[in-house]
Amino acid sequence: MIRGESGAFADLYQKYRARLHQYALSLIRSRMEAEDVVHDVFVGLAKQASGGRMPRELSAYLYVSVRNRCVDRMRRKPELSLDDVGLDLIVAPPGDEERIELRRLLNRALIALPPEQAEVVVLRTWHDLDFAAIAGMQGTSVNTALSRYQYGLSKLRKELGALGR
Amino acid sequence: MDDDRFERLLRGYRLPDVSPDLDHRVLRAGAAIMARARTRVTVEEIGRSLLHRLGFGYVAWLVDLVTTTDAEYRVDLI
Repeated sequence: MIRGESGAFADLYQKYRARLHQYALSLIRSRMEAEDVVHDVFVGLAKQASGGRMPRELSAYLYVSVRNRCVDRMRRKPELSLDDVGLDLIVAPPGDEERIELRRLLNRALIALPPEQAEVVVLRTWHDLDFAAIAGMQGTSVNTALSRYQYGLSKLRKELGALGR
Repeated sequence: MDDDRFERLLRGYRLPDVSPDLDHRVLRAGAAIMARARTRVTVEEIGRSLLHRLGFGYVAWLVDLVTTTDAEYRVDLI
């Protein structure tokens, strides 16, 4: 990428786009804002790389950039809607009746979680990040990240349990 | 539902699709930046080779010495 290889940039984008998009959605909870964040993060990366500076730990750089930009946008626009109608943080695989049935409920329950718990659940469950990495991103201890995950899961289960699942 | 089964249930969900519009915007912007970088690299290489041919190779060496630094990028949490 430092030498201006468009293919390398496109490959990187393909590799991270869905994960970073979901992560941004889980933080900022607005489709338009999440897309703008992902756009700005990749454009920022391309500019850096073209200037000869490639981050050493690319994955960590991308996640932290998404987080910083989301936090920054939420600070600048506190009126940002946190209830984008029909916002999907997860999608059920086609043909899986059990998951299809629960999808809407789980989405709603995920969005209703406190943001720091939702963040840990999303990063741990769908991004396979370890608790040390998540704690580093949240600026907290590993134990706190672990507790947030457990509280988050427990609330999700409770929501499903309320409907007899 | 026990913990393991619940975690497996969650992991079975996919990430939401990314809109084609976002793909288009990012790839177009990235391609433009990469094209400018390629042009810059080409111009630098031509300039370097010209300097060598004219017997001023040491100038290119000096420029490299001054401008080449280890790429290190630090990310701070806001």
